[in-house]
Amino acid sequence: MSINQLIWRNLRTNLKNDYLYVFALIFSVALYFAFVTLQYDPSMDAVEGSIKGEAGIRTASVLLVAIVGIFLLYANKIFIKRRSKEIGLFQFIGMTKSTVFRIVGTESFLLYFGSLLIGSFLGFSVSRLIMMILFNLTGVANIATLQFSLLAFQQTILVFAVIYLVMMLSNWLYLKKQTILALFHTVSSTEDKVRKMSALEVLTGVLGVTFILAGYYISSQLFSGAFTGMKELFLAMLLILALVIIGTYLFYKGSVRFLLNLYRRSRKGHLNLNDVVSLSSLMFRMRSNAMLLTIITTVSALAIGLLSLSYISYYSAEQTAADYVAADFSFSSEEEATTFTELLRTDGIDYEEHVHEVLHVDVNIEDIMNTSANFNLDPSRTMLPVISDHGLDDVRLSANEAIFSGYNDLFQKFLSLRSSGTIELIGMEQTLSLQYIGMREEFPVSDYFTNGGMPVIVVNEQTFAQLKEDTDPELQYRNSHYFGIDITDSSELQQANTLYATVPIELEWTSKSRLDTSASQKMNMGLVMFIVGFLGLAFLITSGCILYFKQMDEGAEEQWSYTILRKLGFTSNDLMHGIRLKQLFNFGIPLVVGLLHSYFAVQSGWFLFGTELWTPMLAVMGIYTVLYSVFGLLSVLHYRKIVKASL
Amino acid sequence: MPIVEARKLHKSYGNKWNKQEVLKGIDLQIEQGEFVSIMGASGSGKTTLLNVLSSIDKASSGSVHIEGQELTRMKEKQIAEFRKHHLGFIFQEYHLLDTLTVKENILLPLSITSLPQNEAEQWFQTVAKELGIYELRDKYPNELSGGQKQRTSAARAFIHQPSVIFADEPTGALDSKSASDLLNKLSELNRKRQATIVMVTHDMTAASFSNRVIFIRDGQMYTQLHRGDDTRQAFYEAIMQTQSVLGGVQHEH
Repeated sequence: MSINQLIWRNLRTNLKNDYLYVFALIFSVALYFAFVTLQYDPSMDAVEGSIKGEAGIRTASVLLVAIVGIFLLYANKIFIKRRSKEIGLFQFIGMTKSTVFRIVGTESFLLYFGSLLIGSFLGFSVSRLIMMILFNLTGVANIATLQFSLLAFQQTILVFAVIYLVMMLSNWLYLKKQTILALFHTVSSTEDKVRKMSALEVLTGVLGVTFILAGYYISSQLFSGAFTGMKELFLAMLLILALVIIGTYLFYKGSVRFLLNLYRRSRKGHLNLNDVVSLSSLMFRMRSNAMLLTIITTVSALAIGLLSLSYISYYSAEQTAADYVAADFSFSSEEEATTFTELLRTDGIDYEEHVHEVLHVDVNIEDIMNTSANFNLDPSRTMLPVISDHGLDDVRLSANEAIFSGYNDLFQKFLSLRSSGTIELIGMEQTLSLQYIGMREEFPVSDYFTNGGMPVIVVNEQTFAQLKEDTDPELQYRNSHYFGIDITDSSELQQANTLYATVPIELEWTSKSRLDTSASQKMNMGLVMFIVGFLGLAFLITSGCILYFKQMDEGAEEQWSYTILRKLGFTSNDLMHGIRLKQLFNFGIPLVVGLLHSYFAVQSGWFLFGTELWTPMLAVMGIYTVLYSVFGLLSVLHYRKIVKASL
Repeated sequence: MPIVEARKLHKSYGNKWNKQEVLKGIDLQIEQGEFVSIMGASGSGKTTLLNVLSSIDKASSGSVHIEGQELTRMKEKQIAEFRKHHLGFIFQEYHLLDTLTVKENILLPLSITSLPQNEAEQWFQTVAKELGIYELRDKYPNELSGGQKQRTSAARAFIHQPSVIFADEPTGALDSKSASDLLNKLSELNRKRQATIVMVTHDMTAASFSNRVIFIRDGQMYTQLHRGDDTRQAFYEAIMQTQSVLGGVQHEH
């Protein structure tokens, strides 16, 4: 048989065994190529130009290369180790190391660049779909056109060729270090020695769980007022990160084994077959993969967390816009408001106008505060906007009463208030004591006046007049009136929004359209979601593949025990039962730990991003779990083959 | 009635054009409580015979009955079930699971019975003490010597009180001291428990521990020797004589 025939045969068997590797490779190339095509596509300017999306997409493609590169190098290492026997045999029959290297190199060259071409083609054909998804998410009205970008193709080939060279370099180094004897023995030397638990392991086991729980606890306290000031907050976040990551590592290194050991002890030697097949291998193998599992768990937690947060933000865009823009359209200059209403009238659009005069007053709210001092806020002298109850239909107050209006979760986290008490409005000459009697959820004026989400104090009309005489002119804003315009018939909102765009606005931030605010947030968050989503997907596929490869190796090493068990009379179905359980743990533990991490991460700060936690987070987690489970199922199928072949 | 009965056993490997006949019509009967050795040169078919008798391998034709049940007619699943409940195995390479302790390995066959845990514990203690490995119960196989491993494997074969125990070269990987230790234990258990043992070996010393030796040559039964009331030494010499007649060219090792 000539070397060429040898290469060809090897290639065919490898293709059969490592279909998942080829799939992952094609998938990564396709994803990268689609991304780069996007980057070079002229129709992307609409997305990129408006929000500096190009930088985002470029960063994403670099990260994608990093993920894919690490994956390929890692997978390559697994493969070359697995083939060590064959390589040893080649050397045994007198091939030089460079001939062996040439065989291995040519084989992977064909496999690699074959996948590269298929991947590029696939990437090209799905890039339009991807672009459509992006346009849809960001709300950019643009038709996804498609043209083959030579530049994108060149860049893809170049990047993957570099990865290939690095791969070959690592193979060469590996071959060079090996002696024939060592090559024959690699498989057995990677096994973790079976032995009893030491006291140190018990300690790592307990510490692992403790660290993770401590991290979770601190994260739940993060914004509850326990940490005041930016510096403490930042330190607390670093501490959480360190605790959780180290805890995860120790968890895999010791805790899993420790917990399983407790269970095993309680059985006093009377294990059933499920225990035998699942438990014992988990106990001894999870340890040796601790580093890998930690990385996979942490990065997937990061991906799920970021994706949840951006989806939360995207999902609550409308609510957030309502908090910041109190009416469909808000103005703070009478002139601009009038221009707009005239335009509305000529077009026959019905509207309702609310006008509030807004004062800014220093207020002492110490008496009604639940939490002590927080951040840069001085509760004895906080500047808050004040309006009269005159313009609000549902509020009637007596002269010495006041309420707060406008209250969101974000504010609640930072400043929680009692339901009643005394507040003091500090004027130039005198201080006015008012009875605080409650809270009203809606924001009556827009964020220009509320400093981006502070509550508005509503007082009686006389009190307001009295206050106005005594205000500190230094505190007052340039524009003192809020004009809110609500469109009566919501179907005419779009038309009104078009008219709004024609109104000349002097200062951009003083007037706003709620529709535009919500759309721009959707656009920002849509792009973030898109990028994080695709990176997350790439990571999911590659890490799923790595876990699967690990399971393939493990299966090969455990085939011997399956042979024994089947000789003793256990059927392959009996064994598969235990193996399913084992895979449930093998894939389930990293998944559950990753999900828990991301849950606590999201939980600690989601209110900074939006108003709805559960729906978006569960959606992201659900999709992730389903995709991830596919790899678990594939590994069970692989085990079925191994068990069938074991007797 | 014999506990193991084989009739006209044939076994061949390969395909139509290239057929290798390993067993050529073997008839065999083993009584309850017997300790039988099967001897023969490499390639004589003794291990194949054991595999077919113990249902690990399927016969090409002929029948095997154990306790009156015909194994050769059973379905894959029934066979596995039967093996679990009625047969015990001792292998040359011990076949212990590395990730389980001695005790867990031994208790494995009981995991499928509905035996209450304290009774299982009782059985374990008895058999482990008889084989002198009770003190090793919490050790892993890689901490044991070959002899200890094989005694663990024997304990696993005996614990569920199977009808027949099949041993494939149990002393093959042991030094002579551990080997005779093990064989002493086996024949002791054979007597005490009335356990039926079928052992394949090419070691004459090992064979001399049994009640009967069956010699296989080229896939057929060549002859058999009964120990009767002979001493082990006398039986050993008888075996040696037969072996030398049988041996000739095929003398192994």
